[in-house]
Amino acid sequence: MIPQREIFWHISYKGLFYLLAFMSISVFFYGLVRHISVWRAGLRKQKIIFLWGAVKRVFLEGILAGRILRGDLNAGIMHLFIFWGFFLLFLGTLVLAFDHWIFHFLFGTCYLLFSLCLEIAGLILAVGLIWAFVRRYVKKVKRLENKKEDLLLLLWLAIIVVTGFLLEGMRISAQSPSWGIFSFLGFFLRDLFPKHVALDMYPFFWWLHALLSLSFVAAIPFTKMFHVIASPISIYIKDQPAFIIPAEQKQAGQFSYKELIQIDACTKCGRCVEMCPSTSVGEPFAPRDVISALRNQIYFRKDINLPSKLIWYCTTCGACLEVCPVYVPPFEIIRELRSKQIEDGTEVPALMIQTLERLYKYNNPWVSTKKKRADWAKGLDIVDITKQDEKELLCYFVGCTTSYDIRAQEIAKSFSKILKYCDVKFGIFGKKEPCCGDIARRVGEDGLFEEQADLCLDLFQEYGIKEVVVSSPHCLYTMKNEYPCLREEIQNISFFHYSQILEKLIKEKNLVFKKLNMRVTYHDPCYLGRHNKIFDAPRNVIKAIPGVKLVEMEHFRENSLCCGGGGGRMWQEELDIEVRMSERRIMEACDTGAEVLITCCPLCLIMLEDARKSKELENTIKVMDLNEFVLMALKT
Amino acid sequence: MDIILCIKQVPDVTEADLKIDREEKSIIRDDLEMVINEWDNYAVEEAVRLKEKHGGKITVITLGDEESEDVLRRALAMGADQAIRIDEEGFENSDPRGIALGLYHIIKELDFDLILTGAQSSDIGWGQVGVRLAEMLNIPYATLAMGIEVVDGKIIVKRELESNTFEKVELDLPALVTVQTGINEPRYVSIMGIRRVRKLKIEEKDIDELGISEDEVGEKGSIIESIRLMFPPEGEGAEILQGSLDEICEKLAQIIREKGGLY
Repeated sequence: MIPQREIFWHISYKGLFYLLAFMSISVFFYGLVRHISVWRAGLRKQKIIFLWGAVKRVFLEGILAGRILRGDLNAGIMHLFIFWGFFLLFLGTLVLAFDHWIFHFLFGTCYLLFSLCLEIAGLILAVGLIWAFVRRYVKKVKRLENKKEDLLLLLWLAIIVVTGFLLEGMRISAQSPSWGIFSFLGFFLRDLFPKHVALDMYPFFWWLHALLSLSFVAAIPFTKMFHVIASPISIYIKDQPAFIIPAEQKQAGQFSYKELIQIDACTKCGRCVEMCPSTSVGEPFAPRDVISALRNQIYFRKDINLPSKLIWYCTTCGACLEVCPVYVPPFEIIRELRSKQIEDGTEVPALMIQTLERLYKYNNPWVSTKKKRADWAKGLDIVDITKQDEKELLCYFVGCTTSYDIRAQEIAKSFSKILKYCDVKFGIFGKKEPCCGDIARRVGEDGLFEEQADLCLDLFQEYGIKEVVVSSPHCLYTMKNEYPCLREEIQNISFFHYSQILEKLIKEKNLVFKKLNMRVTYHDPCYLGRHNKIFDAPRNVIKAIPGVKLVEMEHFRENSLCCGGGGGRMWQEELDIEVRMSERRIMEACDTGAEVLITCCPLCLIMLEDARKSKELENTIKVMDLNEFVLMALKT
Repeated sequence: MDIILCIKQVPDVTEADLKIDREEKSIIRDDLEMVINEWDNYAVEEAVRLKEKHGGKITVITLGDEESEDVLRRALAMGADQAIRIDEEGFENSDPRGIALGLYHIIKELDFDLILTGAQSSDIGWGQVGVRLAEMLNIPYATLAMGIEVVDGKIIVKRELESNTFEKVELDLPALVTVQTGINEPRYVSIMGIRRVRKLKIEEKDIDELGISEDEVGEKGSIIESIRLMFPPEGEGAEILQGSLDEICEKLAQIIREKGGLY
């Protein structure tokens, strides 16, 4: 006898099965269309373009699960097992349908191989499911939120797998085929069922298995299982060109198609919760909760009851995106939520209102005057670009915090001194320098962002600026990534952070340093590192100074911890709780035994300096800006 | 409930280095940004909240130059329905009576249930325009409101008194209430909010249209005369600490310790 399997063996009412299958697929597609129609209503500027790199990314990071393995091997392998088990069984069913309806080839060796493959797939899925149970309910992994849905879906799949294997056992017991061993699990189970029992029970279990499987497919668009569709798409659209829709042309809080897909792709895995600096100091905010609440609201019309204050905790540090397997950027989505609150106006925190009003009137979030903006430069003999004719100057865009905060002014002073020491021709905009718009953008005040950005862009164009160096990584991010979305003409302007200029100067000018016998550590500002991917420039500068030993903290580079000052938090002390993010960071720096903590951002400098004082570490560690450190080491 | 709001624009003087002009009559405003009077901002918010709760229409009025339309637009963005500007010409250097007279001549022609004004202004600060206006209109009024409740066609106003005590008074409508800061938390007005009302027409009235003669208002019509504007003399005890930031802080800490500021 040729090994093969008779479809619908011992089953009557085949028609009913096809009817149910049709219904299940219809429900699935109905759900799918609902999701897609939400995506299509999202904001969009240009057509989605085809990118090979993105296809590769979907394959490597999605289907081969490269990204999910990073950081948490345990969870990654578990997911790999469930995914591949499920995926192979799904493919198997398609192959079976092909064999039955179109071209019969599953017999003999072919069938035996097929049978063996599916057996292994079932086993992999079973192992993955048990693993998932253990992680959720035995090990109780902290970052997982255990809702009813999570248990239900696991049980659902588990029953499908178990009934599948039991059916095999019954069939093998009833038919006793000589090739039964190829379905080895079923083969071992056959002894549970004497032949007549097997024949009696088979149809009952068959229908149970069929019903559960079909309904599972139908349920995909209505549960978190929809990530099997949305997540690969979310990974694909990551590389689509960024765009900003002018505030006039949209409603506040209206999401782009990208954000809608990203919200839909969230699997609630909680990696972001683990990494979020706000969550980890005990603030009531968690990125996953916001995304998952939004998903429920947008796709399933369930009301969300998130306290309106929650969204103001996010520092937009980007640690969540760094670990998200499917590239959901909660801070971007939160930005949109903030813009809705900004438009409504009634729930904006009081200090933020003050900050924005100051920004509107005085082009800076700090002081109620434009006149004092260049006060730091007094006596330093620095060229004011707006008052001279020389072109081809390096434009030093000082930024609000560096201009006004007494501690941060040291950045501007020391950087200017270094530039002068190296004979670099540079100038500043003086009193005319506006805010880059970062704060407005991060807190969702899109109209104000556009106004400030326009002021900057006009200045750049009016004075024919080609190269801009900034103090703040926040300015850098806004100018480099967001300005081109506003005005295409500025694409020929290059933007640098001072750490890049310092690195270049050290290389080109052969700067001579004194030997400093010091142990130092370096804090990666979120917007320099994670957001702008500049990790090495500041480190190379530090390492170029002889005698300096650079030691890393527990969290560094992509995993760096936020100082707590980004995303508008610098101006929202009312949200601070007992433990502050900056304090956690300074303690980590102390643990390295370093004498100096070097950083590269005015906000980080202020936050860490404050934390150093509040933790009474004045005699333990110093906080310095990279420029101050370099200037200290320069032979003069 | 139809509400009339009387608001004004003032220079923002927080952290500004103020200078007094040669005649010693006013501060030099060239470098100062103009903002809505703080008390008025609370009044606008209160009006909008009353409207959200009880319906009706809000008419906002200011007396000032063209630039002062900014505060009207701001109020429109917050939820006011129409705006009227009385042109400043002829009203320059009016005393509170003159300002109230200008407002009176517009408001007497309008239907309203309630007039809200700030309790005082941050620049001149007489705190009189509201009450004088009420007297001219012959309607009941309450000052320093920290809460307004509408009950059976009347309002109950919670007034702020000394040492954290409050008084509740009942007023028949129409009435006038002057609003104290802290009555509510004024909402944020976004740039887009202001842009959206950019095209709304602001009604303009001048002194002639109001039927006021130039002798009644302005400097001529004032019953009080401003003599001199000055900074307070430097106090005896004032000491300006010198030195580097660290030294200043050290000295300051020492003084606080010595004077018993720390326990």
